Parts: sequence; structure tokens; C-alpha cells
Amino acid sequence: MGILKNILTAVRGGASEVGESIVDANAVRILGQEIRDAQDAIGKAKQSLTGLKASEIKLKREINSLESDIASYESKAVQALEAGNEALAVEVAERIAEIENEAGEKSAEHSALSAQVNKINSMIRQREKVIQKNGRELEKIKTVEQLQKATSSMSTNFAATNASEHRVSKALERVKKKQANWEDRMEAGEWMEGEASGDDLDRKLKDAGIGANTSSGASSVLERLKKKSGQ
Amino acid sequence: MSLNELAFKLNAHLTAEDTRFDAVLAESGVLEVICSNNEEFPINIVKTDTQLLAITPLFDVNEVKPDKVNELNEELLFISPAIPLSAIGRQGDSYILFGAMALDTLFENIVHELEVQAENTVDVLQVIEPLLL
Repeated sequence: MGILKNILTAVRGGASEVGESIVDANAVRILGQEIRDAQDAIGKAKQSLTGLKASEIKLKREINSLESDIASYESKAVQALEAGNEALAVEVAERIAEIENEAGEKSAEHSALSAQVNKINSMIRQREKVIQKNGRELEKIKTVEQLQKATSSMSTNFAATNASEHRVSKALERVKKKQANWEDRMEAGEWMEGEASGDDLDRKLKDAGIGANTSSGASSVLERLKKKSGQ
Repeated sequence: MSLNELAFKLNAHLTAEDTRFDAVLAESGVLEVICSNNEEFPINIVKTDTQLLAITPLFDVNEVKPDKVNELNEELLFISPAIPLSAIGRQGDSYILFGAMALDTLFENIVHELEVQAENTVDVLQVIEPLLL
């Protein structure tokens, strides 16, 4: 089902209000129903698969046991022949033939079961594909519904603020102004930082006795006066 | 992360570029986010089963100069691939800028997406401003 095509048709047709159906409600219901049906079918298939697989394993075990019986009787028949007891060998051979028949029947049954198990497995995979595909289709519908919801709340805002023309230009102007203010503040911040680090540098220089006026202060004045009076 | 949790985290977050967010979960279930780097064009966030959609409504078709609609559409088709992380589309009569994220997107990446989307909005509108009324 080409949901996307339906969505496009509906949206272009003006189904843009919230609550208005994007696609035929029936289509959504059918998708949902198909998903649920596929899930149910998978559940049932998995249950019967468990039973079938158990029978298959049991049969395989029985066949193996019969084959080992055949091998054992074959070796016994050979021993009887070697001992010259032909009558016993014939009896063993008859038993081997019976077991081979039984093994043959069980093998046929086993093959049929294996085929059934494979068929159910591939059915489960197919149903899972349906679930995934329908899930993706539903996701598209939900996406457009959410988009409508998100856009319609803004459309209401447009209506409220759209009293004047050039709404976008004015808004852009305000954004640019704010950005310019922000840049100014950043510049001011950098300037302040520069000033602060400059002060710091002056203090460091003074501490190091570089560039500072070391002759200021009462002690240096007194020194100067003493020198004067000593003349 | 629910939209409510996202709102809570966004409101407490400051990006490396000093962008702040003002996020409010509306009754409609839409998370309305204003980024401090573009307060004029809020971003609306909604959630589906698999995605987080961030939508910035740009303008309505009736805000386009009537004889420039085709030119605008073509312009937007050219611009769209060049915008990082966002795409441009139309929803009903409204042109939108949007980004889609997986539900398990890390918070830091959501923040980055929103910040970039807010910037993209200004960039796109500056380009097509002459075609608007």
C-alpha cells in the first residue's frame, strides 16, 4: 500500500488541521489489523512449531537407534554365517529387514516433518516482514500527524503575531540586533579581561622593581630632607 | 527520554557557545523550545514511535510575494542540501525547517542539533527574505 502517496494527496488536499485525518481512517485500521493478525499468526505458528520440532527430534533419535540396531544385527548375522549357522543368520536377516522397514517409514515421516518445520519458519519470517512493513507505513502517518501538530501550534502563533506585514523581516532584524548586542557584550567582556590582565601585569612589574616609582613614600621624602640638611 | 525530561534538561543546560534554552511542554504534547541564539523562531519538538522531530515553522505561503512562490520553492530546493543537519519542507500552508533524530540520540547531540537548527533558520531566512512580503 502506497501510504506516502495517500498522505501527499491528503496534505495537498488541505488536510492540514490537527485532528483532520491524514489518510483514510480505514487504511490506518487495516494496517493496524494486519499487524495484529500477523502477530497472532506468528504466536500460533511458534506454538505449533515447538510441537513439530519436538516430534522431529524424537523421530530422529528413534531413527538413529534403529540404524544402530541394524548395524548390530548385521554384525551378528555375519557371525552366525561364519559359525555355519545359516538358519540363525536367516532369522537375523528377517529381523534386519523389519527394522529397515520401520526405519524407512520413520525417515519418510521425519522428512515430511522437517519440510513442515521449514514451511512454518518461512511463514513466520513472512509475517514478520508484514509487521515491519506495516509498522513503517504507520510510522509515516504518525510522523505527518506529529508534524501537523507541531506546525499548527506555530500557525496559531503566526496568526497572533502576523498583524503586520514583513513579519519575517522584522523578526530577522530583532535576531540580528540581539546578536549584535551579544557580540558587543562579548567584546566588552574581552576588553575588561584585557584591562584586568593589564593591571595584573603592572603589579607584577612593580613587584619586580621594574618601571615603578620607587622614590615615593614618607621614607624616601625623609631621606631626601636629611640629605638636604646635611649639606 | 520523555519530552518532559528533555525540557527539564534543556532548561538547565548552557552550551559551549553560551546558548541557553527555554523549553516548555505544551498541553498539545509539543515541546516548544526557544534557543537564546534565535529567540524569534522557536523550535517545536514532537515524538513518534521511532523519531524525535524538531520543527521550526518559518512562514506561511501567504507571506510569500504572490508572484515569487515558484522561485522561492526552487530556491529552497537548492538551499536544503547545503544546510547542515536540517531540511526544509512544507506542511500544509507552512514552510518548515526540520531535523529528525533517533529516539536514543544522546542529549549532547540533541542540544547540538537544536543549536544548529536555530542558526540555520536565520541563514535560510536571510537568503529568501527578498521573496517574502
